[in-house]
Amino acid sequence: MSKYLALTKRMNWLLTIATGLLLVIGVFFIYSACYSSEEARVRLLYMKQITWMLAGLGCYAWFAFYDYRKMSRFSWWAYGGIIVLLVFVLFAKPINNARSWLDLFGLKVQPSELAKLVTIILLARLLSQPSIKLWEIRTTFLILGIVALPIVLVILEPDPGTALIFMPVTFIMMFVAGVPLRYLMTLAGIAVVAVGMILSALFLPAKFGWSEEKQDKIMSMTMLKKHQRERIMNFFHPDKDPLKSGWNKIQSELAVGSGGMWGKGFKQGTQNILGFLPRAVAHTDFIYSVIAEEKGFAGSMSVLFLFGIIIAVGMQTAVMARDRMGRLLCVAVISMIFSHVFINLAMTVGLMPIIGVPLPLLSYGGSFMIVTMSALGIVQSVYIRCRPVESPI
Amino acid sequence: MELNNIFVREFTRIRVVLVAMIAALLFLAVFLWQLQVVGARKYQGSVAKQSVRCVRLPGARGRILDRHGVSIADNRPSYCIAIYIEELRQPGRWDKTVDKIESVISNLSAVLGVEKTVTREDIKKHIRIRPYMPFLAWRDVDDTVLARWAESNVKFPGVDVYVEPLRVYPDGEVGAHVLGYVGKADIDQNEDETAYNFYLPEMDGKSGIELFANDVLAGVPGGRLICVDASGFKRRESKLLEYERGRKISERAPHPGRDVTLTIDLGIQRLVEKAITNATGAAVVIDPRNGDVLALASSPGFDPNRFNAGLSAREFRKISQGEGNPLFNRAISGIYPPGSVFKPVVIMASLASKKAGEGTRFDCPGYFQLGNTRFHCWCKEGHGVIGMRKAIEQSCNSYFCQLGLLTGEKGIQQMAADAGFGRRTGIDLKMESSGFVPDEAWKKRVYHDAWRKGDTCNLSIGQGALNITPVQVAVFAAAIANGGNIYRPRLIKTGTDEGDLIKKMQWSREDLSILRNGMYDVVQSDTGTGKRARIPDVEMAGKTGTAEYGVKGSGKKYAWMMVFAPFDKPRYAIVMVVEEAISGGVTIAPRIREVARRIFAIENSKRAVIDSRAALTPEGGQG
Repeated sequence: MSKYLALTKRMNWLLTIATGLLLVIGVFFIYSACYSSEEARVRLLYMKQITWMLAGLGCYAWFAFYDYRKMSRFSWWAYGGIIVLLVFVLFAKPINNARSWLDLFGLKVQPSELAKLVTIILLARLLSQPSIKLWEIRTTFLILGIVALPIVLVILEPDPGTALIFMPVTFIMMFVAGVPLRYLMTLAGIAVVAVGMILSALFLPAKFGWSEEKQDKIMSMTMLKKHQRERIMNFFHPDKDPLKSGWNKIQSELAVGSGGMWGKGFKQGTQNILGFLPRAVAHTDFIYSVIAEEKGFAGSMSVLFLFGIIIAVGMQTAVMARDRMGRLLCVAVISMIFSHVFINLAMTVGLMPIIGVPLPLLSYGGSFMIVTMSALGIVQSVYIRCRPVESPI
Repeated sequence: MELNNIFVREFTRIRVVLVAMIAALLFLAVFLWQLQVVGARKYQGSVAKQSVRCVRLPGARGRILDRHGVSIADNRPSYCIAIYIEELRQPGRWDKTVDKIESVISNLSAVLGVEKTVTREDIKKHIRIRPYMPFLAWRDVDDTVLARWAESNVKFPGVDVYVEPLRVYPDGEVGAHVLGYVGKADIDQNEDETAYNFYLPEMDGKSGIELFANDVLAGVPGGRLICVDASGFKRRESKLLEYERGRKISERAPHPGRDVTLTIDLGIQRLVEKAITNATGAAVVIDPRNGDVLALASSPGFDPNRFNAGLSAREFRKISQGEGNPLFNRAISGIYPPGSVFKPVVIMASLASKKAGEGTRFDCPGYFQLGNTRFHCWCKEGHGVIGMRKAIEQSCNSYFCQLGLLTGEKGIQQMAADAGFGRRTGIDLKMESSGFVPDEAWKKRVYHDAWRKGDTCNLSIGQGALNITPVQVAVFAAAIANGGNIYRPRLIKTGTDEGDLIKKMQWSREDLSILRNGMYDVVQSDTGTGKRARIPDVEMAGKTGTAEYGVKGSGKKYAWMMVFAPFDKPRYAIVMVVEEAISGGVTIAPRIREVARRIFAIENSKRAVIDSRAALTPEGGQG
């Protein structure tokens, strides 16, 4: 018992407090986003979120006390298990046209969320092995292969948002681990070319004035679903179709924009209350626009600031970490959270096409909450074990 | 590598990543500042609350034209009082909003002087299915109401006039079964898709061409997002003007539907409908040269104008369950025993089998005895020994029983199948029946009995289980008229005059002329069964038919007649069937005569006009 007390004393309280504040804010605004709903189930979502929050805090504590160095033992097994789950989920019953949920004893689990955490633990373990030869191109291919497998399975669900997160996280981990820059530059170059090719496949056929069938054929080569293509095209021409796929974007921009300096007040956001924001997403991917509308610039900046604290503390922990494994774990977790925050916010304010990426700690959702809290628990675990022992060496 | 040297230490690389992340967050912060503080006025206004209104731009449904380009289905604007639900949305449960909408409607009802027509349930249902669409409190209001609205609209924020296209059929009941009608579109009630429902057309074709060509006719509505200033209604002056200008955010243009041109000749359609209007039955007129359907009528009819987006289920039932089942298209869906109009099939089958020829003669003592069964001829005194041509003219049952037995049921069934009986003709309408030609397998399946000679006799005189549709008979009549081409009956006009040939019958010219001469006598001979159809000037050929139905001896009869005209170069094949009639020769022939007489009268007058025009402009063209 005293061991846990000692560990608690070493905790980074700034990280815990920032996380806790964000969780509480999340519950409040999920309440605000849903309280006017017709369905009792939706109105009571904030209660469910509190349950998730408590479960998340449990995971946070457990991972904080658990010695992260022991995790490397299970990392391959966990990876294998999650791949099996990802394959398994492809045969599940689709919900909202995506086969993302597995029903485990009445509990709906998204294996794709768990896959993020499991994959970065395995990568951290591999990259921190003393024997690793980072300068060999084989190593880079091995890493890319390990990441590509879950990405492909997640895209098949389809859940492009989650698949997208893997990429910056892997890239940052490889960079920090010390993979030669020329490899990384090549990867970045390939990504740019791929994006360029997709965009030109979407836009050039229409520019050339080809027939609609031909346009459609070329567009389908991008492997994107029709509504995804429409979202991307709408991002560049939002005026073309404001009511269909552009609806969320314009409404979200309006919600954020109409918040002003101080916002309209808690539960007073008209865009949200009056049902302009699609009810299905207001409490999940668009929770930030509810906050921005009701609490204004002050509110949205506070949230941004809290995330900034988590990121800064996490990266500082990486610097202070006792070993390479801990360092890479912190970097991976923080870059995952950062990617989520950045993509979600950019999408909310209209800087990016809309892809389903939830906002960590704030958006409604169980699996993602557990994963985020576990990940932050790992950071805490690294922090607890990094401090130099107080006795002189 | 110089860059590599800089990032040699892991700590440096971590700090670089951290700095990049913080920079990205700062970038977001600056963007938020721009959006929320600097740009707030754009979104927020100084005092007033702004909201976005979706104004729907309806995509007009395409017209339906007859073969000469006369519009038989069109649209007219109808003015509706629309309530924009989002703008009346009250904080809290939807019930509060429904209350608010109800009170607004009550106030409007008082101001506009019209009765309230919608219930609380209607509002709730609308919110559930199409929350993004304006709720139409009154449809198709008249000028007085619009004038009152114009006086007082300032007092009602969130309410506006909405123009909705309404389907109109200028000729009322004419061609109703061909055109069909439109009704409220079925909406996919998947809640995730509610925003998408916005673009679905309000009305869909429910039957007839409206249903068959719905994809061509239906327009795709567009939408326009405008900023409306909710409190601008209270403060008049410039604010109001600003609203009226409706600051446009963006727009998606509607796509109107395309017109559909039919092969129907509205003039002939009117004549045909007039001819059967007081009876229950159907009539089809086909151009034998290419299978174009010139008229297709079913009686009793209905007025498609009564079906509109606003029709209630109760009213719909009242129409659909009306006397004589008026929505039922007897011309394509009605299956009837053909009676004697089937006899040309037997003739062609017997001639094709080479077992009989023009000189084949049989005796008719007024009946035909087959074992214990006696098949009566309509002429109780009997026709005596007669040849084929006379047998057709007289429609002698005894003769045809014997001819059928001579030919064998297989040959008749084969000929019937080749001529298109027992399967759909492929006309451009849904709900077509295929009819039925009985065969041995059917007899075994249903009666557990072998095919017997009596069945062949029944088949030969068009009785028994044999069932056909009027449009099949019309296609067959056209084939006799055009020398054996079975065309797909066309309703939608295509670019070419060439018909869609389904099958070219292997009828020899001599065989066909035997049948045609017999059919000529039916109308043109003074003893022919169809002599009452005869008209001066134009020679016609035809075949009557009378089939009993219901309990034997109850006297209920279907009366048939098919004709084609003019005899030497046929341009029209006319088929008519009437339920509860006396006989083909008595009930149908006079009606066909009326139709044929007027058709040729119209043709002549047209020709006269063309001739006179040519006479009036002698030098004009060449001069």
